Amino acid sequence: MALLEVKNLQVEAGGKKILNGLDLSVNVGEVHAIMGPNGSGKSTFSYVLAGKPGYKITGGSARFEGEDLLALAPDERAAKGLFLAFQYPLEIPGVTTMTFLRTAVNAVRKKRGEAEISTPDFLRFVREKAAALHIDLEMLKRAVNVGFSGGEKKRNEILQMALLEPKLGVLDETDSGLDIDALKVVAEGVNKLRSKKRAIIVITHYQRLLDHIVPDIVHVMAKGKIVRSGGPELALELEKKGYAAFEQAA
Amino acid sequence: MIHLGKNSTSRIISKGIAAASSNNTYRGLVSAHRKATGARNFTNCDSLLIGNNCGAHTVPYIEAKNSSAVFEHEATTSKISEDTLFYCMQRGLSAEEAVAVVVNGFVKDVLQQLPMEFAVEAQKLIAISLEGSVG
Repeated sequence: MALLEVKNLQVEAGGKKILNGLDLSVNVGEVHAIMGPNGSGKSTFSYVLAGKPGYKITGGSARFEGEDLLALAPDERAAKGLFLAFQYPLEIPGVTTMTFLRTAVNAVRKKRGEAEISTPDFLRFVREKAAALHIDLEMLKRAVNVGFSGGEKKRNEILQMALLEPKLGVLDETDSGLDIDALKVVAEGVNKLRSKKRAIIVITHYQRLLDHIVPDIVHVMAKGKIVRSGGPELALELEKKGYAAFEQAA
Repeated sequence: MIHLGKNSTSRIISKGIAAASSNNTYRGLVSAHRKATGARNFTNCDSLLIGNNCGAHTVPYIEAKNSSAVFEHEATTSKISEDTLFYCMQRGLSAEEAVAVVVNGFVKDVLQQLPMEFAVEAQKLIAISLEGSVG
């Protein structure tokens, strides 16, 4: 059974059709890349998976471990092991990042029927994961994403993914707004999270990120559906030919 | 806030929360007497809105009886956005936990100043009064 099975997914927002029969099957242990031009529906797809309000599902289905994903609330999806790294992480003034991380980890543990993590254990856990992402502990004392640089925000997203240990991580344009060095750090962090027990979907515009996070399968998205799938070589072909050729095929 | 002495300074931080269909109004008088030369006041009024039918109003009164007093007033109004709640919920927090986190961040400046026992009580009180405010 696939971890994520999306069939003929159709979604509208504000009366406009954004996803037009999207099919995608992701197995545990795989890393998928979804590439596509602006407005092809990539971000919408990630939001719909995570359960963001404001989208109307007009047809099709999405199953996560066989369960109807679309019937669950966003926090239930998170507890089941779905994680979305936001393209634009939100700011929460007055709440230190450390407090937020701990609240999130404990909320997920509670929903999974596990005991809350003790403070010393949690600090050890955070220190270990933060070090891997070159995150200074000073950063975690600041309010969530408030005044963070682009690189800090994205690293903070990956840190949260490392702490919440999801079964499926969806990275929505995690490379946008990053310089080359920050990109490498973030990509290394993601690579450390690759595991036989976990699947990752990387959404991006550019081949550049895929040099660092090498996917097993590449999908090209245009006009709200996946128009072609292939191996990592597809990303190279895309880089050469551009999206226009694929859009015509859609 | 009444300034009587020379060069006296004061600070007011007000944090108001309005949920559902409630309205929250801040009214505050800051006054400097004739002899209170060089008096300074800084007033900060922040309001947080939860939902679409609530409102926040700020009405500062200023009374300066000498020309060297300096009064400053700053006011902000923010709304707990659906996007912020979604962000928190994506991390596993329930809708109510998400509101509690954002509200606690908002009132932190004030609660920090309170003695421990009060701060704990106040925090619980806020949690109870906001119960069911997001649906």
